[in-house]
Amino acid sequence: MRRLQLPLAAAAAAALLVAGCGTTNERTSDQPSAQSSKECKGADGKYVIGMSQANKAEPYRQRMDDDIAAAAKEVPQFEVKFADAAQDNAKQVADVDNYITQQIDLLIISPNEAKPLTAVVKKAFDKGIPVIVLDRKVEGDAYTGFIGGDNVQIGTEAGKYVAEKVLPSGGNVVELKGLAGATPQAERNQGFAAGIAANPKIKVIATASGDWLREKGQAQMDALLKANPKIDVVYAHNDPMAEGAYLAAKAVGREKEMKFIGIDALPIPSGGIKAVEQGRLTATFTYPTNGKEAIAAAKKLLVDCSTIDRAQTLPTRLIDKSNAAQIYTQENPTG
Amino acid sequence: MSEVAALVRMSEIGKRYGGVQACREVDFTLGAGEVHALLGENGAGKSTLMKILSGDVTDYDGQIEINGSPVTFNGPTDAQAAGIAMIHQELDLVPGLSVADNIFLGRELRTGWRTVDRRRMDREARALLERSGVNLDPRRPVGELRVGEQQLVTIAKAISLDARVLIMDEPTSALTTSEVERLFVVIRELRRAGVGIVYISHRMEEIAQVADRATVLRNGQKVASFDPRKLSTAEVVEAMVGRPVQTMFTTPDAATGDELLRVEDLALRPRRPRPGRRDPDGISLTVRSGEIVGLAGLLGAGRTELLETLYGVAPGGPRSGRILLQGKEIQPRGPRHALSHGIGFVPEDRRISGLVLFHSILANTVISSVPSYGRLGVIARRLERAASIRMADRLRLKFGRLQDEVGTLSGGNQQKVVFGRMLLTEPRLLLLDEPTRGVDIGAKAEIYRLLGELAGQGLGVLLASSELPELIGVCDRVVVLRDGRDVASFRTADSGEGDLLAAAMGERAVFEEAGGLQ
Amino acid sequence: MTDVQDKAATAPTTPTEKSGGVVATLFRFQSVFGLLAVFVAAIIFSPRRDGEILFLSADNLANVVRAVSEIGIIAVGMTFVILIGGIDLSVGAMLGLAAVGSAVLMVESDWGLIPSILVVLLIGLFFGALQGMATAMIGIQSFIVTLAGLQIARGLARIWSDGQGVAIAYGDGPNEAPDSFALLGERTFGGLVPIPVLIFAVVAIAAVIFLRVSAFSRHLYALGGNEKAARLSGVPVIRVKIAVFAICGLLAALAGIVHAVQLNQGSPNDGIGYELDAIAAVVIGGTSLAGGRGSVAGTVAGALLLGVLNNILALNNIDSNIQLLIKGLVIVAAAALQRLRPAS
Repeated sequence: MRRLQLPLAAAAAAALLVAGCGTTNERTSDQPSAQSSKECKGADGKYVIGMSQANKAEPYRQRMDDDIAAAAKEVPQFEVKFADAAQDNAKQVADVDNYITQQIDLLIISPNEAKPLTAVVKKAFDKGIPVIVLDRKVEGDAYTGFIGGDNVQIGTEAGKYVAEKVLPSGGNVVELKGLAGATPQAERNQGFAAGIAANPKIKVIATASGDWLREKGQAQMDALLKANPKIDVVYAHNDPMAEGAYLAAKAVGREKEMKFIGIDALPIPSGGIKAVEQGRLTATFTYPTNGKEAIAAAKKLLVDCSTIDRAQTLPTRLIDKSNAAQIYTQENPTG
Repeated sequence: MSEVAALVRMSEIGKRYGGVQACREVDFTLGAGEVHALLGENGAGKSTLMKILSGDVTDYDGQIEINGSPVTFNGPTDAQAAGIAMIHQELDLVPGLSVADNIFLGRELRTGWRTVDRRRMDREARALLERSGVNLDPRRPVGELRVGEQQLVTIAKAISLDARVLIMDEPTSALTTSEVERLFVVIRELRRAGVGIVYISHRMEEIAQVADRATVLRNGQKVASFDPRKLSTAEVVEAMVGRPVQTMFTTPDAATGDELLRVEDLALRPRRPRPGRRDPDGISLTVRSGEIVGLAGLLGAGRTELLETLYGVAPGGPRSGRILLQGKEIQPRGPRHALSHGIGFVPEDRRISGLVLFHSILANTVISSVPSYGRLGVIARRLERAASIRMADRLRLKFGRLQDEVGTLSGGNQQKVVFGRMLLTEPRLLLLDEPTRGVDIGAKAEIYRLLGELAGQGLGVLLASSELPELIGVCDRVVVLRDGRDVASFRTADSGEGDLLAAAMGERAVFEEAGGLQ
Repeated sequence: MTDVQDKAATAPTTPTEKSGGVVATLFRFQSVFGLLAVFVAAIIFSPRRDGEILFLSADNLANVVRAVSEIGIIAVGMTFVILIGGIDLSVGAMLGLAAVGSAVLMVESDWGLIPSILVVLLIGLFFGALQGMATAMIGIQSFIVTLAGLQIARGLARIWSDGQGVAIAYGDGPNEAPDSFALLGERTFGGLVPIPVLIFAVVAIAAVIFLRVSAFSRHLYALGGNEKAARLSGVPVIRVKIAVFAICGLLAALAGIVHAVQLNQGSPNDGIGYELDAIAAVVIGGTSLAGGRGSVAGTVAGALLLGVLNNILALNNIDSNIQLLIKGLVIVAAAALQRLRPAS
């Protein structure tokens, strides 16, 4: 019989369990406000920043990481580590836990979904690690600062654009939404509804969830096309989904029948600006990745030993045929 | 033999496994066209010696010469290249492939396009099979053939490899008498062609019929070499076990009790008939307490199927006739049901259906009687062990420790474990299917003794066997089956093997029954 | 008979030809030794700060064990199924279904803690039993049955939750889950052990004891070792198979409840791929996929091994794609080691 194996395994497990005791999870109430307990080393220190990304497979988020890396290069005191959760909440929690273990100096996080990540972000914050939340929010207020676009605003702009420029006499709109638990999705949806409210002849006849992904957007659009014989506008919460919808329409020869609107406007070859330039999308709205701003805020906190705003909202801008080419070149100075 | 170099000469062969000397200074020669029988109890060294000859074991002392020149084999392929073919007791055929596929496994004949040439393979397979004295459709899947036919396929395969030396390990254990005859014809043919055959077997009558010489191994050493036609069975057995042995079969007492089992015109029509099965088609018989009743018949007569029906593991379908146990009619629904009525079953193939080979002796012994070792589903280990040891003692089981894997035991001891398992359920009726197949002489004798004891204690035994001497020697009565029906019943005190065989064969030609063989 | 004859009868005939000794021992406890080896490697390769070995920090070790708990609970159930030579691919989907179920029942339907948990566990039990029946009574291979089960459970989860995660807020009002539920989550028991770890430990210990002393376990191992022989020996084959799949479903549901509490939401898309991690833990733990051989203790060691491995790779910021690669190699190595075991 495996007489020895059981005791050995039990011993190993017990050792780990015992080590699991004395977890410092719950000392929140004992610790005074995080920032002031650490002495700020300023420009003399070397800092490790942990970036926890929700899903690198989305081009927007890959760009966010790239922007952070590029901005960090300019700051000699900064070293940035990157982790990707691939849309798995549990993995992102583990990523942040690991950063805490590695005793990073600052956490930048773009959470996959708000609720599941709130607790672990709070844990980091309560341990004295400054937290900058990008693009998507967590619940509560256990973080240092939030930088993001105003998604409600963007949605409203998109809605107004459709109401005034695209369908002034009314029409059918199909909406492709992002991942359900992420805050931008709800806000872009809400804003758009407000934007088209002025024109009662515009109707949102169907919605579907593309989870921010191009393939999913395409698949959902296939179904929507079958179910709806007259579609005038496709409003997608991001450019990849809009592109996917375009492909779906093209596959059945209906792409000229409708206009496609997205959000993100990434200045990359496969991004929204180029898509507008090349005529696939009618319009898109810029949604900055906030990467540069995140590092700027980090610099303020760590190197300058100062404070940052609780919430920093960045403006958006319409990209259509008239300015697409120019903006693209502007954003890509080296081509 | 002395002028011409022997086909095979093994000199001073020695092999050590850990602390055990499996072979010690064994000399063994085989001439071309000679059948040399090899006898010995399990563990005597026969299989080791043959594994060395066939290239399975490459690390040994001593020397092998083929046709006068020394050879060293680095593996079985070398031995095969030298013309040595081994036919194992567990035939290594692939049941899902056809006969022809199996014969040419690994050396498929190809067409000019390098694809497999099915037609040529079928043709050549048919020719080979004819030489083996068998008329089988080479396209049939091997899994559908009866064991006897499968064995002939392995021989055909060996012939196709142009073997000069054939090692046959218990070749007749699964054959009926007629098939054994056919095998001997093939062997004589091979002898005429100059092939040397090593014939490992326990069956004295066969060895006397077919072998030129016989060698006995005991404890890894050669202890006797003789002309099998000249020596008596008793003397040979004594050489094998090293001590005089009383007659193997105990004459059972005729003191039997009340009727235990009555089968009345039992017939089964399975819903989904499976090929190769002969389900009961009108069988009537009785077994009394304390009686050992044998079931005789050719392969395919329906002995196993009858036992399976009584145990409740026959395929589903409408049933006619009755089964009565101690006067009460029962409808066996499955093994649990049968066991609860006190019916135990020892299946034909212990390795496939009887044991979990890599589990311990203990686990295999107690598995049918688990609830009796504890309460409310909680089992006390020491009760299991106690029962196991008790049974091992009673059966004179030879083993190392209770937790050894049962697969490491010899065939006879493995069979005893299966017996022990059934006995722990305290059965009233024991159904046995070929209980001594692949079991060495010593263990056979013990099993016969055990059966006698059990009968003496009032158990009823229904014993299916292809070994006529066993049936005559052990049973009080023998019922002969043919085509799923009972055709004759003999009291063994008044009859002999010939009577059984005649009844089993009936007037219909053996060959038709077995499916159109030559 | 003589001793010599005994030994000769049981002489090993495998290439290694050692019937005991160091090699055999290493194989029998391969999962535990593997765990120790990975643990030591983790200490060696752990990043350090101010002389402190980060891997060994209490917080990190707690994280490791907590992260392993869900998969561990599932893997214990999976061990039962694999021991009879089957497989259950639906456990990840069941986790999602159970997570959604607990959230919906407690938050939207406003049930109490105990009824919600009981109902969810029963759902897991019945779902598993249904799969067991399909495999045992109709004879469909468990791979196929549970593959279908995976889709069905996932679909049910999405329907029940309207396709979105159901957030769990705590409190006493309507649409709020009772605070006691949060206790099951990240908080600790007596300030020491994280509750998910406690649940995992209790489940594992119960399973180990069960597999040692119960009559059921003898039947289970025999069934896995040789179904035909087990059946002929009177083992209630159908009953055992159904029970085994029911246990697996139950434990997957339990894992789902723990999952919902840890993430404060019941999302229908959670648990994707968990079945593979569970199977990996079982295989690394030394249980044979052919059935009849293995132990829950091994599975626990296997799960911990994977957890420590994940942790040390993450702490060293190894790209997550390379992490997947390494995990796959470890699984193959563990399975290969099993094949190399000396026969006796």
